[in-house]
Amino acid sequence: MDKDKLKEHLKTLTEMHGPSGHEKPIRDYLHSYWRDLVDDFDVDRLGNLIGIKRGSGPEPRKKIMLCAHMDEIAYMVKEVRDGFINLHSIWGADSRINLGKIVIVHANGRQIPGVVGAVPPHISQYKEGQDKYTPLDEQWVDVGMPAEEVEALVNVGDLVTMEAVLLELNGDRVAGKAMDDRASVASVTAALDYLQTRAHVWDVYAVASVQEEVGLRGAQTVAYHVHPHVAIAIDVTMAQQPGVSGDEYPKLGDSPVIDMGPNFHPALYDSIVEAAKRLELTAFEQVSPGRSGTDAWSIQISHEGIPTALLSIPVRNMHSTVETVSLKDVDRTGRVMGEFIAGLTADYLDTLQWKTEEKESAE
Amino acid sequence: MKALTKKLVEAWGPPGYEHHVRAMIEEEVEGLCDEMRVDTLGNLICRVGEKTGSNKRIMIAAHMDEIGLMVSHIDRKGYLRFESLGGLFAPTLMGNRVLFENGTVGTLGFDDFWGNYSKALKNNEFYIDVSMGSDENGGNDVGDIKVGDPAVFLREFEERGSRWIAKSMDDRIGCVVAIEAMRKLKDSGKVAHEVYFVFTVQEEVGVRGATTSAFAIDPDIGIALDVTPAGDEIKTTATDTRLGKGAAVKIKDGGIVVPPEISAMMINLAEKNGIPYQREILRFGGTDAKAIHLTRSGVPSGVISVPCRYVHTVSETVDRADVEACVDLVAAIASTADLGL
Repeated sequence: MDKDKLKEHLKTLTEMHGPSGHEKPIRDYLHSYWRDLVDDFDVDRLGNLIGIKRGSGPEPRKKIMLCAHMDEIAYMVKEVRDGFINLHSIWGADSRINLGKIVIVHANGRQIPGVVGAVPPHISQYKEGQDKYTPLDEQWVDVGMPAEEVEALVNVGDLVTMEAVLLELNGDRVAGKAMDDRASVASVTAALDYLQTRAHVWDVYAVASVQEEVGLRGAQTVAYHVHPHVAIAIDVTMAQQPGVSGDEYPKLGDSPVIDMGPNFHPALYDSIVEAAKRLELTAFEQVSPGRSGTDAWSIQISHEGIPTALLSIPVRNMHSTVETVSLKDVDRTGRVMGEFIAGLTADYLDTLQWKTEEKESAE
Repeated sequence: MKALTKKLVEAWGPPGYEHHVRAMIEEEVEGLCDEMRVDTLGNLICRVGEKTGSNKRIMIAAHMDEIGLMVSHIDRKGYLRFESLGGLFAPTLMGNRVLFENGTVGTLGFDDFWGNYSKALKNNEFYIDVSMGSDENGGNDVGDIKVGDPAVFLREFEERGSRWIAKSMDDRIGCVVAIEAMRKLKDSGKVAHEVYFVFTVQEEVGVRGATTSAFAIDPDIGIALDVTPAGDEIKTTATDTRLGKGAAVKIKDGGIVVPPEISAMMINLAEKNGIPYQREILRFGGTDAKAIHLTRSGVPSGVISVPCRYVHTVSETVDRADVEACVDLVAAIASTADLGL
């Protein structure tokens, strides 16, 4: 996918606000952005967006589902006191990074900017150099309005999201919020883009899933709804940085990163590595020995079981407003998926066999 | 409503053993619904109204089970060790009494209590004493209690002004709300949807009854009726709900992020019908809605909660006015043709 186009797409995606269970703005945007890339749309009852790109094979065609989640970590209003707002983490938010940040309070159909403040350092019990930080309960959002107005406008349960403009760093790197997992959503767009000029036999179900951060919930219902023959989940993984070891995690620029472990079908894994080789790319093989913590974990056990794979995009500063990715990784991940899909034959499922000793010796 | 509540909260029904409660509810709702059946897991499914075209199929779930204990081992001295059935918390145990299905009553004791009462206790340090003093070997007679026998807390219903206090308000009060709403619909004759009132099993051990009943019913909308820990106990910050301030409309808990259109529908109906309500977010815990909303291709779902102090103890405390508000809200949903969804 064209680099500038991809960057614009990622900028729009990450600057939008769509916490778990409240993904409508992202869904609407993708519905319009994917219009030229797919043949049809579907939305399941939890709100998962499904873009369907039909294959060229005779019906009934096999289905592959690409699944990346569009929700982001965020907060809700827990309490309004004297015009200040206390927050409740919907899930996964790192409250250590909040102080001094700009947030948006979504109340009564309005988007109200606010700042996260706390007791100043001169008189705070949490001092620089100590191992303590101001906990979420002692952080208060200030929207600068008179207390009565705030009380009238803001209700318990209203959404509070981070405001972060995409920052272009040197090279092909960008930093922003919600790269987890909208960088992966962008890679699905890149895969669809790749398939505009490549024939494919299978039907492609491109899914932007909801509610991953609160427990892989959207993937559970969309896997049931679509009932694909093969699925690939795309999520972010920790990228190397000071304190994040190179023994386990890829560097920015290492994509495609393909995960191995009990969550993933080994023969499917091999096929994706093959597809990467056809593009002269070397896969970074990431070990995921248990619960992968991604949509793949839900998808794998839907219906009678679905052969599932996971591609990961390296991200620095995970769950912050400066999640940093390499655009190259996003594009490559998309191209590898596109190439894999283009290579799928009508009888691919027959080749998706478990390795047995007899077979290996027969070879 | 009070007599029904007293009857249901004093009934015996740990997770997986809801048959006594089910029999009582069957008797109560006979004549209040168009169709009634019990599914494989033991959920009692009652249909009111019919699917006619544009109206909705709504599943309203309240769980019949209560937290309990199960004998896991009988030691040489005749003390019963146990596992918990659902969320049983050590600080709620000492000196409490439990009831087995055969009528045997036991006392919860703690190893070397006087040497340890000030330390943090663990469930597995407690035992059940069912002795009657008739063992001649100096041990404790256990009657015909066996490993695997379940028990529940033993405690009577109490009324104190507008407060109702009992064990197993979680979630027999939800069952009461469902039954009273059915009665209200019967009286008014105004049922706008195909409403399935489901009295579910095994909520406390992982919302298991709701999982299978929701799959079978395949509803358009799901609603769980349950208690929520009230936010007005001293130093409680978990929620903002207050006893006596109305039905709690769930925004989010550990099991569900309620779709905004569902909570808005409930709030609009409450405002339109003058039903007191409060908005609820709860950091931990979940209800049957957790299972219902992830059924098949997803079911837009919400929760109506009765604020309750001292949840998962023998003194679960609710306010009668809140229970009435919940009944009114459930009836309003079932009898309003245009829910705006």
